[in-house]
Amino acid sequence: MKRIRRSPYQTMAAILVMTVTMFLACAFFVVAVGSQAVLKYFESRPQLNIFFKSDYVPTQSQIDLMQAKLVGTGLVETVKFVSKEEALNIYKELNKRDPLLLEAVTSGMLPASIEVSAKNPNDLKLLSEVVKDETGIDEIRYEEDVVAELTRWTNSVRIIGGVFVGIQVLIAFVVIFIIIGIRVAGRKDEINVMQLIGAKSSYIASPFIWEGFWYGVTGAVLAWGIVYLVILYSMGFLISFLGNIPILPPPVLFMFEVLGGSVLIGGFIGGLSGLMAVGRFLKS
Amino acid sequence: MISAQKINKRFGEVIALEDVSFEIENGEFVFLTGKSGSGKTTFLRLLLRELKPDSGELKTDIETKTLPEYRQQIGIVFQDFKLLTDRNVWENVALPLLIKGVKNEELHAAVHAAVETVDLTEKMELFPAQLSGGELQRVAIARAIIARPKLILADEPTGNLDPVTSKSIFKLLKQIHDELKTTIIMATHNADLVNHGALRVINLEKGKVTKDVAKGKYEEN
Repeated sequence: MKRIRRSPYQTMAAILVMTVTMFLACAFFVVAVGSQAVLKYFESRPQLNIFFKSDYVPTQSQIDLMQAKLVGTGLVETVKFVSKEEALNIYKELNKRDPLLLEAVTSGMLPASIEVSAKNPNDLKLLSEVVKDETGIDEIRYEEDVVAELTRWTNSVRIIGGVFVGIQVLIAFVVIFIIIGIRVAGRKDEINVMQLIGAKSSYIASPFIWEGFWYGVTGAVLAWGIVYLVILYSMGFLISFLGNIPILPPPVLFMFEVLGGSVLIGGFIGGLSGLMAVGRFLKS
Repeated sequence: MISAQKINKRFGEVIALEDVSFEIENGEFVFLTGKSGSGKTTFLRLLLRELKPDSGELKTDIETKTLPEYRQQIGIVFQDFKLLTDRNVWENVALPLLIKGVKNEELHAAVHAAVETVDLTEKMELFPAQLSGGELQRVAIARAIIARPKLILADEPTGNLDPVTSKSIFKLLKQIHDELKTTIIMATHNADLVNHGALRVINLEKGKVTKDVAKGKYEEN
């Protein structure tokens, strides 16, 4: 601590660079996990909706036959029949804040449907082919494009985020390496004395490793706090943007897991930088 | 016992030690004399294993597995004291035991004993910048003796001190030698101390041993 207090600007620079690095790492991680949750949400929703004509009521045997055909392909995760009454209930739930819309609609106006989730979104078109010629079918809708687009987006977030965070981690590593290297050089005589009186390398190196570790931990905690504040501050906007997708607010346990991970990674980067800086000197 | 057999050491073209051979028994107090550049410090650095001889054999009876463990068995006193400026007297003296991982009670007792030996008990909280040259060297001596080393190497310990302080530092080293029976090798070019010390004197000139005079026999020409 004495050493850190002695050079406050170097300390600030080290903590700042670790905070920026860990902020980016935390932010990208949270976005990646969020986008994965969004993808899961879309994947878990019925991806194929087979609507009957609104004036048509399918018989139970027709429903059973269609469901058996779909399941028989081996491509289906779940399949569910939604009656006109159930469709009205869903409509009411979705529009409960708008009494005018509720008054205008009756169950007779809404079509019955079969909702299908595919094991693989790429098979949706194939599944629609299986039932498209059935009696009473009005329209078949599927969300293949949404899921595929989200998958692409999620993968891009992971790759771009990974590269970006990787570069930033490298910068943080170099900056802390240089700062601790300066400190080591400034204490060259002291280190020499310690070596002459029999100090082991681990004894000499440990304060510098701890110093780097604390830079990392401090940066990680600050970064986590900033990310959490940003999420809380923009919650209103995010909820309206994401609509019914239930990923906000992030679970407190998840955020504490992010904190734990950040502290470990930050501490490791800082400690390793310190070890490398002092190790280079001890070797020479 | 320290045994030097035909030690040679060069720094490029400069010959630091040439065919140096002698033996020092356990418990001896030996003056290593000679002008600047005669090889005194090089010999001490070889003993401390800071340098390796180009040829010849330098043996001690200090048996350890690693270099740090070897050095922990040696107390060292420098001309320029080499104290840690941001640590007080207590912390500087405690350092050799701290690096060995000695626990609190034993550490406190040892530091108090060492500081008492060099008569600095009342200055334990002071930092090096607050001490005189003689006091600094006393701290360095306390640091050298605290771990009860088998060997003390003193490289011009009075080189930066006035004659009166020099004598007191020498007396202190002699007292430690008499009490602890530690082997002490003191490099110096202080003729006055050597003449009055009545101890064994090994003189080096241009890296060669020119005199090896037994205890009480030395007289500077």
